[in-house]
Amino acid sequence: MLINTGIPTKEDLAKVDPSAERLAQGPVAIVECFQEIPCNPCVDACKRNAINIEGDINGLPIVDFEKCNGCGVCIAHCPGLAIFVIDKTYSESHAVVRLPYEFVPLPEKGQLACALNRAGEELGNFEVVRVISGGAKNKTTTIWLAVPQDLAMEVRSIKAPNSAPNIQNSAPGLQSSPTDTLICRCEDITLDEIRRVIADGYRTIDEIKRVTRAGMGPCQGRTCRQLIAQELSRHFGIPMEEVLMSTFRPPVKPVKLGSFVKGGDL
Amino acid sequence: MINVEILIVGGGPAGLCAANAAADLGASVLICERDEIPGGQLVKQTHKFFGSRKQYAGDRGIAIGDFLLDEVINDPKIEVMPDTTVIGIYEDGLVLAERSEEIIKINPRKIIIATGAAEKFLTFPGNDLPGIYGAGAVQTLMNVAGVIPGERVLMVGAGNIGLIVSYQLAQAGVETAAVIEGAPTIGGYLVHASKIQRLGIPVRTGYTIKEAYGDGKVEGAVICRLDAAWNMIEGSEEDIKCDTICLAVGLTPLTELCWQAGCEMAFIRELSGHVPLIDKYLQTTNPKIYVAGDVSGVEEASSAMVEGRLAGYSAACSLGYGLDTAPSLQAGAMAELDELRAGPMSDRIRQGVEKVEKMVTKGGV
Amino acid sequence: MRIEQHPILEFDRKEKITFFFNGQEMEGYASETIVAALHAAGVKELGKSPELHRPRGLFCAIGNCSSCLMVVDGQPNVRACVVKIKPGMQVELQSGKGDLK
Repeated sequence: MLINTGIPTKEDLAKVDPSAERLAQGPVAIVECFQEIPCNPCVDACKRNAINIEGDINGLPIVDFEKCNGCGVCIAHCPGLAIFVIDKTYSESHAVVRLPYEFVPLPEKGQLACALNRAGEELGNFEVVRVISGGAKNKTTTIWLAVPQDLAMEVRSIKAPNSAPNIQNSAPGLQSSPTDTLICRCEDITLDEIRRVIADGYRTIDEIKRVTRAGMGPCQGRTCRQLIAQELSRHFGIPMEEVLMSTFRPPVKPVKLGSFVKGGDL
Repeated sequence: MINVEILIVGGGPAGLCAANAAADLGASVLICERDEIPGGQLVKQTHKFFGSRKQYAGDRGIAIGDFLLDEVINDPKIEVMPDTTVIGIYEDGLVLAERSEEIIKINPRKIIIATGAAEKFLTFPGNDLPGIYGAGAVQTLMNVAGVIPGERVLMVGAGNIGLIVSYQLAQAGVETAAVIEGAPTIGGYLVHASKIQRLGIPVRTGYTIKEAYGDGKVEGAVICRLDAAWNMIEGSEEDIKCDTICLAVGLTPLTELCWQAGCEMAFIRELSGHVPLIDKYLQTTNPKIYVAGDVSGVEEASSAMVEGRLAGYSAACSLGYGLDTAPSLQAGAMAELDELRAGPMSDRIRQGVEKVEKMVTKGGV
Repeated sequence: MRIEQHPILEFDRKEKITFFFNGQEMEGYASETIVAALHAAGVKELGKSPELHRPRGLFCAIGNCSSCLMVVDGQPNVRACVVKIKPGMQVELQSGKGDLK
């Protein structure tokens, strides 16, 4: 499912793909945007008004495939990099997939690039037939990749040339030894210690602070306070809303005494 | 002592927009920014922003930071004080700040707190090993300093930050072994997830980190599956070799100043922590103090910018500026916020905002 | 490791400078924070924690968490994630809460 993996399913794609007849007529944009988010630059990008969203800016984009001539200006304007242009009329055997690309070094025209599908699986090396710079401000490059016709609806990325080699994860034969869980990094207070004092009957953040020093260090509780509140909430079965917060006093960050001395007119 | 009409604490997207809005109406503004250059976390956002044109959608975060800053610097009504951290707001309204190891006094008529948020930490054995970073830290290292954090990363969290940072790691030539997410579904925008999946970076929902291990620094992590009740499933452990673990488990509002200044606060889960109770003009229960951005609930930078404008108009208007134009400008900003929050992805934010509204009309917690 | 080529960003690192890490000479760039220069050289451990003496590294990188406190030119508790390197700067691992020299 898209919501679990980020990989659109056939059913998702069926909602946004143009018809086979339209694909056969020439290049056309496909917007693989399936979620109502507040975003509309694609609408502004299209000079032919072929992309519209329904209702407010949270609506899903809808492409009018008859108005769209596959110019591809929208590709580099989608903040989600979710727009592709497919040209099935490139040649008998090959279609061109135009896709957004934001990696370096850029492939050059005529080079082969490793095509990837929506799950990042390699589909083979195919020719880059055009590279269009997004310009100094936009910076999203559009790559034209000539792929076999049957892969036109599969290829959606190319492998970045500098991507690291895949290191294999080892099977769970763990080399770890038990170690502590830290709650307060500044004062070195562990989760065990917090649980111990809670079990001893301390029940507010301020009490725990006084007895353990958790939250008294240089970050003044920015990292640990929430975690202690969660422990209190869990132990006493009370909602976070009811966990009594600590008292905040100035200065809210550590200040050297010398700074006060230097502050002349105090 | 510095006398100023409006003091803005924090020069991120919310603070800069607040400054511009308040100065547009005629108020004089001072921005205290703890960093050397304002812009907040926009400086490391290399991706294009969502939203609509009004929130600079389609432009990259870094570029947005640059032109917000340009507007601020070119406005004679706005002064920016970099390397300055506000350390306290006192009962008599006096504000203390530290600048270059020297304490300064500021006497503002109104204050807009736009301090943003901090990254959450996660509990698991070995969670403090060097090589375990907040996702924002990895962005700062990569996109500000141009230094990679390591060679192979385990990303914990599939919200927008986890997904975006995984993509940015790939752009920097760093491999992400996996993005794991405790929840059964992806929390961030699906287009971000699709973007990394097609690079071969697996997004694995229903997984958590059980422990990190290594001698002096991260050498790997054990991940395991979670059942529907978020309990670890025994026997599902996997060993992931990595030298970097990136925690993208959410942000929490940085509200120390609000607490300390006596603003009434409430824990609102949907807004990611304790937040000040505010009215629709973003005024807190301390009439002198307004808030904008993540400090009043963790949300997207696009809404932080709109909130900044709204707070700026409100604070300036409360001092008598733009009495004729402010109401329509405020209404415009509120409508923009409503639109940004109208979709299903903003359900939580809407619920959180409604909770705050209810508490305010009831007159407190 | 430093990023040499990036699809979106250009890094203006400014001039190369020399500083010292635990007495050992190191190179970095004038635009870099202490942790950036150390990370570029592969150094991730910045100190030891005060009670349990566990290795400490960078966590938030923007001055919130204080996980990166180091001794700089003899002064302890300097946030190495926000302070930039300077020529000749002496950076040392900090053990615990630091002592005034």
